[in-house]
Amino acid sequence: MSLTVAINGLLIGSLYGLVGMGLSLLAGVVRLINLAQGDILVGGAYLAIALHGVLGWDPLWLLPIVAVAIFCGCYVVQKWLLNSLVTREPLALLVVTFGLSLLLESLYQELFGANPASLPAFWGDTGFTVLGVRIETLYVVAFITGAVLAACTWFLLYRTHFGRTVRAAAADASTARLLGVDVERVFALTFGLAGVLAAAAGVILAVGQSVSPTSGLSLLVFSFTVMVICGIGNVIGAVVAGMFVGLLQAIAGAVIGQSSTDLAVYVFLLVFLIVFPSGILKRRELGIR
Amino acid sequence: MPAVLAPATQYTAVTLVTDMTIALAWNVVVGYGGQLSLGVGAFTGVGAYACGLAMVHLGWGWLEAGLAGLVVCAAFGLVVGLPLLRVKGAYFAVATLVVAVGLQAGAQLWTWAGGGSGFTLPIAQLPSDSTVLRAGVVVLVVALATTLYVQDSRFGLRLRAVRDDEQAAAGLGIATSTYRLVPFVASGILMGLAGQLSALQSVSVSPAGSFSMEWTINASLFVVAGGIGTAVGPLLGVILVYLILTQGLQNLGVASSIIEGVLLVAVLRFAPSGIWPTALSVGKRLESAWKRRAGAQGMAADKEKRQVHVATASAVRER
Repeated sequence: MSLTVAINGLLIGSLYGLVGMGLSLLAGVVRLINLAQGDILVGGAYLAIALHGVLGWDPLWLLPIVAVAIFCGCYVVQKWLLNSLVTREPLALLVVTFGLSLLLESLYQELFGANPASLPAFWGDTGFTVLGVRIETLYVVAFITGAVLAACTWFLLYRTHFGRTVRAAAADASTARLLGVDVERVFALTFGLAGVLAAAAGVILAVGQSVSPTSGLSLLVFSFTVMVICGIGNVIGAVVAGMFVGLLQAIAGAVIGQSSTDLAVYVFLLVFLIVFPSGILKRRELGIR
Repeated sequence: MPAVLAPATQYTAVTLVTDMTIALAWNVVVGYGGQLSLGVGAFTGVGAYACGLAMVHLGWGWLEAGLAGLVVCAAFGLVVGLPLLRVKGAYFAVATLVVAVGLQAGAQLWTWAGGGSGFTLPIAQLPSDSTVLRAGVVVLVVALATTLYVQDSRFGLRLRAVRDDEQAAAGLGIATSTYRLVPFVASGILMGLAGQLSALQSVSVSPAGSFSMEWTINASLFVVAGGIGTAVGPLLGVILVYLILTQGLQNLGVASSIIEGVLLVAVLRFAPSGIWPTALSVGKRLESAWKRRAGAQGMAADKEKRQVHVATASAVRER
């Protein structure tokens, strides 16, 4: 197995880290495992594809537009649908996100057809060689996007007032409410943020790999793997865990075969959950340490 | 009963029966057991593949192969359920999802069993159409019996205790592991049987059909829409969703999946206990409102009578 494949796997893994970070945020703050996270990623990809068809812009310019659109959509979903269910039993919340996932997948199938679609970009096919190892520009762009967004999320959570309210709501929602934090609004904004992270990853992934209406499922499993490895609320750890998942995929692809890359991650996740039923760390609070 | 039904009616009847079985089975593990299982496809697929492979490679008849499938499903349920005993809540849900999707991916790579296109069942060993339907009804009755048993037995009471508060139940001396494992395996067997029947009906076994996510999607929709944790709910859900929605909107194709997704979300948002319990509670409220109005009328009549009585009494005194 060549170093190229390994490094490319590591680099694209930062995108898995991004979407895993979103899932982890929702789990920590809203106490919600969003089974539709992968489908939001696919939604971002499809939106970018549609916009590219109309405007013809490069995906990197489309990214902010997609981010804003997805943010608004997710904010509305949390505000009007999920917030009213947060106080109910977790089973209902989980099944509702499953329902959302089903809804989104059928919507994509209806609007874009069942065939895989991808996003063309001038940096999608180029590459360069460093120390004898060929690295494709696509993977570098993926990594930079992942790293920059992760850094921004970290800054948002740990160096801003908004971040403090988010961490307060995550630690103890009722006390935060007593202290004047609009917890419902924080939940909605957090869902928006998680959606933005997923959609951004989706836009870049659509350039490298193609997306289809059912891609969301495997991407959900990848982001769940990231969350389980690095623990809930761990932002930088998410990027590292994502890179691990990417590397695992690359190794499986090279050693077993291209069709087993997803299966390798599934098996890893199952074994991991059997050994660590609640993830590698106990539920780590986002804030007060 | 006619010996042979028209093909379309036969298909609908068998599908209804398997859907009801799946819904009841899912309700046992999710509604009464409290564990969200997103891996229905895993059991239906394992059952279908075990039965089909026994028929094709061992030359067994459908009944022996079906029983073999039953045993394999039970074993599979133990193999999956035991290690996942410690995994709870959403993590358990995702784990079952991964098992189902992983098995589907694995079946697609399993060239001995036909790979991505699966294999067809040998016509010689197939049961007749009416036999398939009768077998389906038997399985459905077993599923119903299981549901009613869980509703009205000490086992069911302890199961619901574990569902509602596992720690408290453990504190009261209930062996929670048993109550997590037994519903999982039992419902898994029922799901496997339903998967086998579906395979017998379509005369083929394939990763896309037998291990499909559709099984889980349908089960969750039927049960949530109908009424989770009730005996009537899943049956009502199947009738509502399958007969009214799917058949009625057949010409819309993919749009029916969108409507199913919307229905699932809408029910959870506005009538989270399901349509049957909501209908029951609405009925009760109407009944008590009716009673109150009748009672108020009765009280007003009594008040009038008393006033006449007082007036008469004072009139008599004055005289």
